[in-house]
Amino acid sequence: MNIELTAEQKALQQEVREYMTTVMTPELLEEMKIPEYKEGGGPEFRKQYARMGADGWIGLSWSRELGGRELSHVEQYIFTDEVVRSGFAYPFLTTEAVTPVIAANANEEVREEVVGGVRDGKVVIAIGYSEPNAGTDLASLTTKAVRDGDDWIINGQKMWTSLANFADYVWLAARTDPDPAKKHKGLTMFLVPTDIAGFSHTPVHTLGVRTNATYYSDIRLPDKYRVGEVNGGWKLITGQLNIERLSLFTHGQVDALYQGVCHWAAETPSPSGGSLIDQPWVQHNLAKVRSGLEVVKLICWKQAWAMDQGALDMADASVAKVYGSEFFVELYRLLLEVMGQAGTISADSPGAVLRGKIEFRWRVGSILTFGGGANEVQRDIIAMAGLWMPRTR
Amino acid sequence: MDFNIADELKSVQELARQILADFTEVEQLKQVEQQEQGFDEKLWGALADAGLLGIDIEETLGGTDLGFYALTALCEEVGRTVAPVPAIPVLVSAAGTLRRFAAAGQKENWLPGIADGSLLVTAATEEYNNDNPANPNCRAEAVEGGYALSGTKTCVPAASQSRRILVPATTGEELVVALVDPAAAGVSLSPQVVTSGETRHELHLDKVQVPDAEVVATGGKALDAMNWVQQATRTALSAMALGVCDKMMRMTGQYTSEREQFGRAIATFQAVSHRVADCYIDVECLRLVTQQAASLIDQGRPADEASTIAKIWCGDVTHRVSQASQHCHGGTGVDRDYPLHRYCLWARQIELSAGSSAQLTAQLGQAIGAAYSSP
Ligand SMILES: Cc1cc2nc3c(=O)[nH]c(=O)nc-3n(C[C@H](O)[C@H](O)[C@H](O)COP(=O)(O)OP(=O)(O)OC[C@H]3O[C@@H](n4cnc5c(N)ncnc54)[C@H](O)[C@@H]3O)c2cc1C
Repeated sequence: MNIELTAEQKALQQEVREYMTTVMTPELLEEMKIPEYKEGGGPEFRKQYARMGADGWIGLSWSRELGGRELSHVEQYIFTDEVVRSGFAYPFLTTEAVTPVIAANANEEVREEVVGGVRDGKVVIAIGYSEPNAGTDLASLTTKAVRDGDDWIINGQKMWTSLANFADYVWLAARTDPDPAKKHKGLTMFLVPTDIAGFSHTPVHTLGVRTNATYYSDIRLPDKYRVGEVNGGWKLITGQLNIERLSLFTHGQVDALYQGVCHWAAETPSPSGGSLIDQPWVQHNLAKVRSGLEVVKLICWKQAWAMDQGALDMADASVAKVYGSEFFVELYRLLLEVMGQAGTISADSPGAVLRGKIEFRWRVGSILTFGGGANEVQRDIIAMAGLWMPRTR
Repeated sequence: MDFNIADELKSVQELARQILADFTEVEQLKQVEQQEQGFDEKLWGALADAGLLGIDIEETLGGTDLGFYALTALCEEVGRTVAPVPAIPVLVSAAGTLRRFAAAGQKENWLPGIADGSLLVTAATEEYNNDNPANPNCRAEAVEGGYALSGTKTCVPAASQSRRILVPATTGEELVVALVDPAAAGVSLSPQVVTSGETRHELHLDKVQVPDAEVVATGGKALDAMNWVQQATRTALSAMALGVCDKMMRMTGQYTSEREQFGRAIATFQAVSHRVADCYIDVECLRLVTQQAASLIDQGRPADEASTIAKIWCGDVTHRVSQASQHCHGGTGVDRDYPLHRYCLWARQIELSAGSSAQLTAQLGQAIGAAYSSP
């Protein structure tokens, strides 16, 4: 038992941290002020993403055969942690979750086109799972794909298809067996090029970020864009969920917010004399954040470590998801309380603290408690897998 | 980074679990509870025979020297079985301190006897309204050939059975840590019944003469010793809480899976199963921060912040898991014939020992304030 980074791991952390400062150019920071481009997709984002590809930073965890470095999960986590901390809109779901599945399951030609494109930092893939009537109960989705000769005809609507407004493909889950008794078994995965006839999207503006509704109207998609077996999609969807989670609740991003508020409170005078950070209630909130953050760090490390041992416990993965998502929301509140009214000033207004980052983070905080598998479902899993309790109803 | 638990340690933990389980059937616990001291000497002897009391004592002094981390693993098992033995005061607070800070002769006097179970040495770390052993009110007056100690310590565990009590005191200028013989003139022990059901003691010292040979440390070394004992005790309490809470949560998972109301197991109500799932999350959080603090102390690394954070979690998690467990058990949870109640009592005892969450959160906050204020 030795819960600390090794010298090599610390060196990697430092290397990524330094590299990312060169990615976050002033031009990119400027571009990200435009709401359309906050989550990436602008010309400067494209330029920096491609540069990361050219410099060999994309797909570090992939096999050497695919051009990766076969990093361990711990190293991959260190990379992710630093990239998220930098604020770059790196498309983790594209690079870490979806592309390895495509590499393992896609047709030769598509695999070359997509995996190569991602490796070069030229391709972004949107996730098309959710629908207006299929959220937590994802397997009830109804977007339909019907075989027609060498093609598939796709019809339906997806909801919350983030990045679809600039993505190159949608990673689409569609129903290929309409028999409702086979809810989980009747799904197939496709890659839909976003320039194909019959695809369209409209914006959905949320509290924090822009996402999209996407429409699939008589799309004629060549069979080569099918990924994996017909009716074998569920495994591909669920197989990458744990990896996906490892990029959602990283420690560095929130640790940076905590440190930022500590510095701000130390520099900000208190009306009753001294600095804000001398106030007991401020210290109380900061200590609450500090003790909760320690667990975020340890949970992330343990998950990555366990994946390297090939033994990520199901209940533990759900513990991480629930704890991470709920503590993040708590952390935003505790830090915003310290800032008081200043915590409500948005990024570009005078008086914004830490460039309005926490004001913004609060806006997107709740997404993680219902998204990525609602926390109720995670708690069901914990009770069943961790304590052998019966299924709830 | 390695979360792996070494095989050697796993087998020690397995052995401890076995012995402790053998001695903690409900009937046995009840019997011990009826005795005045509430201390299971037979169990203590069995642990000694298995080499488990000397886990953090050098081999040359009769121990197995597996280290502090291994000792916290034993504390966890004691918590899991609510075994009536003074593991933390004797093995962590007293022996752990002697091992690291006492002179060779003192170690030879006491550590072999602790390891083989033939004697107990305890520690008096708390005073009224003061649980910081590094800042005692108890006075040490320099006298010919030693010190005279005067003052009051509270809730001293295993005090009446111990041959010596480790006591911190101050001359006004420097800290003195000494071994007090409870039979010495000027020592009085008054029994205090506490929540856990044990009998602890108020220790009153009235000019108790302590010869130089019984002085463990003075000055800077005494300060290091008392900072160590505080961090180590908090970490060990967190480990014990881990065992207590893990067991309570599992009892609750099982009970709610079997107990039926409205024609179904109550665990099939999401409101119930989620309360237990929340305990599971809490226990995992407590496990991680405790492991971190224990491994830092094990390696002799700074652990002030880590042990403070562990004890904050310990206080919160013991409270939450205990209340959730009682609630989900209904009346059974408070019935003295059902085993859960002992865990709830221990949880409260641990929560309020060596610093509560509120107090430690305030201290951590002050440390953060100081760290960021300095230019
Ligand atoms: C900003 C944003 C971006 C997104 N990006 C994407 C994306 O790129 N691709 C994509 O496919 N999807 C995306 N999503 C969708 C997201 O995955 C869904 O919102 C999520 O799956 C929850 O589905 P829902 O919103 O329909 O809520 P519902 O499924 O209706 O759930 C609402 C609430 O009902 C309760 N509930 C549901 N099921 C249970 C249960 N079994 N037990 C107890 N309570 C339950 C929970 O409290 C839950 O929070 C995004 C969403 C947002 C807001």
